[in-house]
Amino acid sequence: MEATVQSNARELWSGGDSPFKVSYGKIMMWYFLISDTFSFAGLLISYGAIRLSQPAHDEANPLSWPDPNHVFNAVPFLHGHYPLVFVTFMTFTLIFSSVTMVRAVQEGHAMNRKGVLFWLGLTIIGGLIFVGSQAFEWSHLIHEGMTQKSNPFGASAFGGLFFLITGFHGFHVSVGVMLNSWAFLMTFFGAFHRRGHYEMIEKLGLYWHFVDLVWVFVFLAFYLL
Amino acid sequence: MSNLTHEESIKKVWRVCGILAFVTIFEIAAALFHFYSIPESPRWWLNLLFIILSAAKAYYIMSEFMHLKYELKAMTLTVMTPFLFLIWGIIAFLWEGGYWLSLREFWQ
Repeated sequence: MEATVQSNARELWSGGDSPFKVSYGKIMMWYFLISDTFSFAGLLISYGAIRLSQPAHDEANPLSWPDPNHVFNAVPFLHGHYPLVFVTFMTFTLIFSSVTMVRAVQEGHAMNRKGVLFWLGLTIIGGLIFVGSQAFEWSHLIHEGMTQKSNPFGASAFGGLFFLITGFHGFHVSVGVMLNSWAFLMTFFGAFHRRGHYEMIEKLGLYWHFVDLVWVFVFLAFYLL
Repeated sequence: MSNLTHEESIKKVWRVCGILAFVTIFEIAAALFHFYSIPESPRWWLNLLFIILSAAKAYYIMSEFMHLKYELKAMTLTVMTPFLFLIWGIIAFLWEGGYWLSLREFWQ
């Protein structure tokens, strides 16, 4: 019994087969995402270390770490202060676009070209709304005087870390929107259908969910904690 | 791959979407409740809650949306084990950050 298990294992890893039962492209996307996780983790961990090296939030100390409820309280087209309302909208946009991406992948499994186009289109729109919302938030904060080197709400390091980390995330979202738009065109012209499978949508789906996953932690670090 | 039918997996996706949306609303509600009603109370319990809920969201995104729950165990382990280094990284660097603060205060 043991001998057969061993020889099976050897056959499994001796080439010509996928031991993980995952295609080459998907596994390479996973390995890329693991390395990208470490890029984001490096940024978020340095955020944590720098934050703890500054005095904790204190109304009396203008150099203490700012309170997110004071920093993020603007909503487009509305006057007044609505803490965390706009970022909730952004978070929902991203969650929803992740769901539409799963639906696109599922329609791809069913070889339903129209379904893929519909759900992938919604995903692209969600990504664009997210990037647009981020542009609004950035320009609002820049008008308030927050730059990479200064921050009117408290410790100046907050400004630099905020623009670096949300910028790196926003860059990922923008790349995702571009790749999804390319896949939309390929689907539209039937390229994946002729290929016989929609695996490209699955690979882009992994990347898109990863962007959503990173946002969970960016949201945690900047807006909640 | 999963054994779920097309319809079952569609249903499952919307359920996970509901869970993620609910958890996010709950987080925001807790943050605003603390901000408006009990701003003087300690934040540590709230922060702990946020970290746990975010980890739950990450679990749902990876297992369901990224389909990791339905891959072979060897594949899941290959993806997940490198992240163990992050536990060390988080503890080491946050500790270091606290030390920088005490140095700063010492020299002031």
